[in-house]
Formats: sequence, C-alpha cells, structure tokens
Amino acid sequence: MNPTTPTPSPVPPTIPPPGQPPLGAHPDEQAPIPSAIAAVEAILRQPRRVLYQLQQPGAGRVTLAMLGAAIVCSLVYGIVIGSFSGGTQLWAAPVKVAIGLLISAAICLPSLYIFACLSGSTARLSEVVGLVAGLLLLMTILLIGFAPVAWLFSQSTESLILMGALHLVFWLIATYFGLRFLNAGFVLREDRSGGLKVWMVIFLLVMVQMTTALRPLIGTADTLLPTEKRFFLGHWGECIKQASQAER
Amino acid sequence: MSALAPHATLADVPDLLRGGGDNAKRWTADWDARRIGLCVLLIGIGAGAYGAAMGAWRSPLQAGFNVIKFPLLLLATALGNALLNGMLAPLLGLNVRFRQSLMLVLMSFALASVILGAFAPLVAFIIWNTPPLSAARSVPWTTYNFVQLVQVTAIAFAGVAANVRLRQLLEGLAGDRKVAQKVLFAWLAGNLFLGSQLCWILRPFIGSPTLPVEFFRPTAFQGSFYETVFHALLRVLCLID
Repeated sequence: MNPTTPTPSPVPPTIPPPGQPPLGAHPDEQAPIPSAIAAVEAILRQPRRVLYQLQQPGAGRVTLAMLGAAIVCSLVYGIVIGSFSGGTQLWAAPVKVAIGLLISAAICLPSLYIFACLSGSTARLSEVVGLVAGLLLLMTILLIGFAPVAWLFSQSTESLILMGALHLVFWLIATYFGLRFLNAGFVLREDRSGGLKVWMVIFLLVMVQMTTALRPLIGTADTLLPTEKRFFLGHWGECIKQASQAER
Repeated sequence: MSALAPHATLADVPDLLRGGGDNAKRWTADWDARRIGLCVLLIGIGAGAYGAAMGAWRSPLQAGFNVIKFPLLLLATALGNALLNGMLAPLLGLNVRFRQSLMLVLMSFALASVILGAFAPLVAFIIWNTPPLSAARSVPWTTYNFVQLVQVTAIAFAGVAANVRLRQLLEGLAGDRKVAQKVLFAWLAGNLFLGSQLCWILRPFIGSPTLPVEFFRPTAFQGSFYETVFHALLRVLCLID
C-alpha cells in the first residue's frame, strides 16, 4: 500500500464545538486502552482519550473493560454498604448494587439512543453503550473514593437514615461526574440537546427507584427482596417516620 | 529561594512555609519517601506538641494521649480521603497523579502542624496561667469554655493559613485560579467532613472536667458527630426534649 495514501476515517467526521480541538488531535488521545486498569486511569485523567477510543474499531473491548471495572468497583462499594448491617448483607448488598446498576443502565439505554438519534446524533449504538459504560465506571470509581468515609460512618452510627442519606449524597456526587462524562461525549459530537437533560433525569429516577425495588440495601429484612411494591418517596417517608417514632 | 536538597530535610521547612508554585512543583515532582517522611515528622512533632498543650489543663495523662491522638487525627484524615482527593483533582481540571495529590494534602497538614507547633508554647503558657482543674471546688465551666475558645482560635488560624498556602500551591500547579479554587473547595469539604467524624471518634482532646481521662470514650463508635449536632439543633429549636 502506498504509505502516503490517506486511510479513510473509521467514523463519520464530526465538527468539534468552538474552542475544542477535535478528538484524537493530541497524540496521547490516540493511545489504545489495553486493560481495565488503563480504562480507570484514562477516564479520570484523559476522558477525551476514552471518547476517542470509543469511536474507533474495536471499541467493544474498551466498553467491556469499563463495564468489568465498573462491576468490580460496585461490588467493593456494595461490601461497604453491607458492612453497616453485616451478616447476609455483606454479600447481598454488593450483588444488589452491581445488578441494580447494570439493570438501570440497560433499562435507560434504549431511551438514550432514541434521544440521541432524535437530536440528530450520528453516534452508533455501540458508541452510546460505551458512553454509558464510561458513566458507570466513573460513578463507581468515585464511590470507591468515598468508600473509606462511608465505612467509617457505617461502623460509628446506628442510624439507618444517616447512612441512607450519606450513601445518597455520595451517589449523587459520583453520578454528577458520570453524567458530565456522558454529556462531554455528546458535546464533542455537537449533539447536545434538551433530550439528553431529560434522559439524565430519567436515569436518576430509575436508579433511585432501583434502590427501593432491591431493598433492603443498608438495613435488614426477613426476605432478600421486598414483598411489597413501593415508590421510592413513599419508602423514604416510611423510613423517616419509623426512625422518628423509634426515637420518641 | 533556596534550592531544594536532593532529599528533604528540616532545613526545607521554611520553603514549605513560604509556599509558591515552584515549591509545589518541586515537592510533588517525584515520589520521595524522605519528603513524605518529613511531612509526617512535622505533623507528629507540631500537632503532637500542640495536642500536649491542649490536654495539659485536664491532666498530664490527657496531654500524653493527645501527643498520639492529634497527629493521628491529621494523618487518618489525609489517608482516609487520599483516594477521593486523588480522583477529584483531575475531574475538576487539575491533572495531578494520586501521589501528588496526597503530597499536597500532606504538605498543607504539615504546614498547619508547624503553625500549631509554634503556638504550642503560647497555649501552654495560657493553660499554665489558667486556674487548674485540681484546685477547683466546683466544676469550672467558665475556665473550660475559655480553654475551648483558645483551642478553636489557634486551630482556626492554623487551618486558614494552611489552606491559603494550599491554594497557592494548587494555583502554581494548575496555572488557573478557578481550577485551584474548585479543587481546594472539594478537598476542604471532604477533609472537613471526614475530619469532624474522626475528631468525634478520637475524643476527648481537651477533656471534660466531669468525665474521666481516657484515650477513647467507651462510646467512641456509637453515634456520629453529625447526629449529635442535629440533635443539639433540635433541642435548641425545642423540637425534642
């Protein structure tokens, strides 16, 4: 092959937003991501490298590496959640957290793809899956960062409400950064629209409801999964009411 | 500004106190165990000396406990949040490695400890001039509250000075004021949150006049700092008895 012949780009060219160089403009961004550890490092320090790699052939491996790392991180954070009650929760909470995350992502994925297409995005489904895997990875890595603090509180307090609120705050902060990564993925393709914001709200609601659907995550119960269906606001209200009655 | 020796020594402490972006770059450039050791040593000596002065009013035993507990508090806060701080920095725009973020936090804690160490003789002098607990016929709450206020003032000054320096170090590394402020705020929030709970677990530091001198209270791992504050607030607002 003639070495001077330009090879066709594997993805449709996108127009970078004003002030932002195109993805892959920097040589560092073109470095492949060979492992899950490299994916963790890249998503924290070089998110543009991850976004670039998701547009290349063989992006599936990067997506799988990110998903694998996200599952491991969610299992570790799940153990910290389970350490509040101990016993069965030491294995049940990590399993529920990991499964809950994956199911939430799977439930929301079709709507994200549809919203992206409606807003004129040229992103392929595999790329959108990769972005969601990146969102989950960044979320769960940050939760690992919060794990020592969460563990310390879980050993100090007996208040279910405090632990619930603490995990919720940590999860919200982690999700904020995860959604920021996802948003950057679309912004760099000039695909940003109100649709993505709507999807973010849906994703948050689904995840919060998942914590209620898979309860108990922090406390204990007679059964591994709930026997009664509830909306998350109703469940939280009930928990707060029970706690205040117990205090009296 | 003096050129930093190949391995950090106590002679580099003035450099640490002066702050500045160049110092931040040199101190965090590579993983130097001696530099880490110097920060840990400064925390041990400075915070330990201040802790001793802090506990001296209650009893010599409390002072002795504080020599261990106060540096332990700072080191546990730095290490407990190390992972989180290392992750937040690049996410907020400051592309430093994990070891660099840990070094920066250790530097700021070492700086606060040096300042506290410098205050230790002053606080000890104030305590020496305060009516001793052993001589009191009734519980000297006024004296106790005065001792508390002195500690709060000294620790607040050291904390503010260390964070001002940390912001300068961050600015030197980031080259952007906004990024430095964001990282500082995130680190500060995390360290305050964890530090408050660690303080609660490691209490007493000053030592209540009505409670025995102990390394840990038997209730160290029962409840949290925030629950106590919340309940105190409810009581103030007359929402609970």
